[in-house]
Amino acid sequence: METANKTSTVAACAQVFRLALRRQFFSRQTIVTAVLLGLALGITALWAYPMPWNPDPRTSAQLASRILSPLYMGFLLPIICLSYASSAISGERSEQTLVYLLTTNIPRPLVYLAMYAAVLLLTLAVTLGGLAVLCLVPGKIGLEALGVFWTVTTCATVAYVGLFLLFSAGVRRATFLSLAYALMIETLTVNIPGVVNRITVSFYAKSWLYETGKPLDLAPTGAALGLFNPVSAASAQWVLVLASVGFLALGMWLFSRKEYD
Amino acid sequence: MNTKTTTTIALAEVRNVSKWFGPVMALNGVSLDIGSGITGLVGPNGAGKTTLLRLLTGQIKPSLGEIDVCGHDAWSAKAKDHIGLCPFGDATWDELSGRQLMRVTAGLRGFTRAEARRRAEAVLETVGMDDRANRPVRTYSKGMRQRIKLGQALIHDPDLLVLDEPLNGVDPVGCEELNDLFRSLAAQGKAVLVSSHILHEMDQLADRILFICQGKLLASGSLAEIRDMLDEHPLKVRISCGSPRRIAPQLLTLESVKSVSIEPPSELLLEVQNPGRFYAEFGEFAAGNDAGVHRLKATDTSTEAVFDYLMERALHPE
Repeated sequence: METANKTSTVAACAQVFRLALRRQFFSRQTIVTAVLLGLALGITALWAYPMPWNPDPRTSAQLASRILSPLYMGFLLPIICLSYASSAISGERSEQTLVYLLTTNIPRPLVYLAMYAAVLLLTLAVTLGGLAVLCLVPGKIGLEALGVFWTVTTCATVAYVGLFLLFSAGVRRATFLSLAYALMIETLTVNIPGVVNRITVSFYAKSWLYETGKPLDLAPTGAALGLFNPVSAASAQWVLVLASVGFLALGMWLFSRKEYD
Repeated sequence: MNTKTTTTIALAEVRNVSKWFGPVMALNGVSLDIGSGITGLVGPNGAGKTTLLRLLTGQIKPSLGEIDVCGHDAWSAKAKDHIGLCPFGDATWDELSGRQLMRVTAGLRGFTRAEARRRAEAVLETVGMDDRANRPVRTYSKGMRQRIKLGQALIHDPDLLVLDEPLNGVDPVGCEELNDLFRSLAAQGKAVLVSSHILHEMDQLADRILFICQGKLLASGSLAEIRDMLDEHPLKVRISCGSPRRIAPQLLTLESVKSVSIEPPSELLLEVQNPGRFYAEFGEFAAGNDAGVHRLKATDTSTEAVFDYLMERALHPE
């Protein structure tokens, strides 16, 4: 076999992207995600259906405050993100196939970047698709909520994927770490009054929603708002963007230096 | 013993490399060159073989020292252009077919789709898997997996092929086919580094052998070169003669002979201390006595015997 053929780093990265996308899509994570979204869909459909004891038609504000904010943003979004991102590198590592990526002639930061792009694309498709379905099941009332939530969902997904992929590059059992983080930090810490909740992604997502979702009455009132002490939407957007870039840069740096066993 | 024999241009250079994982020193001041031809890497479990292979393929960095492959630091992406790795484990992307796996591996090397397809077909034929390439890899036997992994290592036509136990699980006919393939690659000027615990395979396959134990390179060179270096290595020699009982006491008078045992009906088994000296003394003895020697044969010139001796010396230094 002659060796004169030119090779392209871009083509090699594209192959990493396709491989990661394929392996993540045809995986247990997709089944788990589909089941969770199915359950959420069922809950939403039941909630939206007029009952004899509650015959009044549902409103956009109710959909946002009773379904989308607690169920989707508070639980499903981080779970979907972690299921794909935390298993991307640690999964290859535990299946002992990471060695084939580490011994190619692609610089390691680019391997990481290609995997990040694949996981992000897949996760965005699932999170935005899931959000759209949840908003559209109750009918027209969901359109207004979808308009408010989709931008926040996109930015939060980018940040979560960056964070959980960083975990995946750092530790072998990244899914457990990510799950612990999602449940302990994102779910509990975000509700602690003061400034400690500012270490969570969901704090900035909520702050953003409270400001842009005023027509939906998402923000708490009175003392509750004072305890939560949200930042402005512009600040939240900046923090989420900077955090996403920071997580990605840190992940590329870590992956390029780490000696995997 | 930490020796170095370079007969060809070095494709990989290891210079005073040490590697430790926490308190455990996996490699200790190893220096060696790997040139074209087949080099066998031999050592017991925990000797540091896998660490050396991982260092050479840029999976880990040395704690001290330097490793260059074709002039590039082994950790760098440029060096990996020249390296093909067949790892020890069975794992690969099992959900793909053999043909898809080859195309994906070629794609990971940055080849165009057309070139990846062409290389995939060529390599599948080379490793003898072209007739089973449409089956998913998860249905392959261990031997077939070894072949397909070897194909992955060969897809970009590397200068340095690093094979960790490549014949593990391959049937005898397959072993011979793969050995022929390794020889043909070596004949093309490539460096083939084969790690194996099946020592007699190394005897027949490797041009040069690296003995490694407890993180140190004990010896390197051809088996004959290593034997020459081991003057103190006791060698067993079997002699067929007409009257073994008569010449046995006479042989004991030779300085190089440590012990003699008679093996009826007509053989003697000698343990000699210094092979070169023994052959000289025995020549004189046979010429001066009516020894009636029909045949003389050294019985433990295999890698195994040398290996055992080296290991013994490393583990129990005097």
